[in-house]
Amino acid sequence: MPDVTLESPDPAAAELELVERLRAGDEAAFEALVARHYGTMLAVAQTYVKDRAVAEEVVQEAWLGVINGLDRFEGRSSLKTWIVSILVNQAKTRGVREARSVPFSSLAPEGDEPAVDPDRFRGREESYAGHWRAFPGNWGRSAAAAVQDRETLRVVMRAIAELPATQQTVIRMRDVEGYSSEEVCTALDVSEANQRVLLHRARSRVRAALEGHFDD
Amino acid sequence: MTESNERITCQELTELVNDYIEGTLSSHETALFEQHLNFCDGCDWYVDQMRATIATVGRIEEEDVPTDVRDKLLAAFRDRNRT
Repeated sequence: MPDVTLESPDPAAAELELVERLRAGDEAAFEALVARHYGTMLAVAQTYVKDRAVAEEVVQEAWLGVINGLDRFEGRSSLKTWIVSILVNQAKTRGVREARSVPFSSLAPEGDEPAVDPDRFRGREESYAGHWRAFPGNWGRSAAAAVQDRETLRVVMRAIAELPATQQTVIRMRDVEGYSSEEVCTALDVSEANQRVLLHRARSRVRAALEGHFDD
Repeated sequence: MTESNERITCQELTELVNDYIEGTLSSHETALFEQHLNFCDGCDWYVDQMRATIATVGRIEEEDVPTDVRDKLLAAFRDRNRT
């Protein structure tokens, strides 16, 4: 499989090489690139257009923009950041046209969402208020093994798919695709504080899903 | 050494854990956080759970692209190279 993870020793060089392959018409490289970014792009699009089918169209249009713009890509930003910026422009335009536009402030986290069910902690009237009633499990070595396990991976993918689009976007960009928090903030025009809260909530929900899976 | 009566609870720790992992806590908060971990196995395991969660999420590599979408994009990609 072509290396599109861009994690080789010199990411910048690997990326230039990938761009050259794409310009030369390497279909396998293109296919892998699409597979690598599709899920994240769909999540990003869905923060702008609520309708899933429309979001899928937006992602396709963005890819067409990427294909047409390949020769203009100058490497001033990373390839994935460039792709997302094309997508965001496309999604904004479409969001306005569909009059289904989600205001950008909707990327702001809504309401209170505790990381862990408050009932799992001792109440205010009790001694040791705020401490665990029963400890969470020690995943220990089973965690290391589980990380490699396909079923565990499926549980995680399902949990991510069920997150609100905003949380899904941030956890995918940060933890799946390896964007820095600055890159996420720039690409989505979201504040650092909001990015942190969205990431925290997303990870907390996925952890809870994994806990359910291990406790089964 | 942080010598103070200030403490964080387990519940508070579960809300700070990602800022801790991200390295965005202040040095004072980091000290309180780690002080708590020294005496609380439950929270120590919780932090491990969160790290294992992040590691698992990081293993997602590719997702299924609907066949019709893939075919359409590949066709557009081929067209580009013909012109």
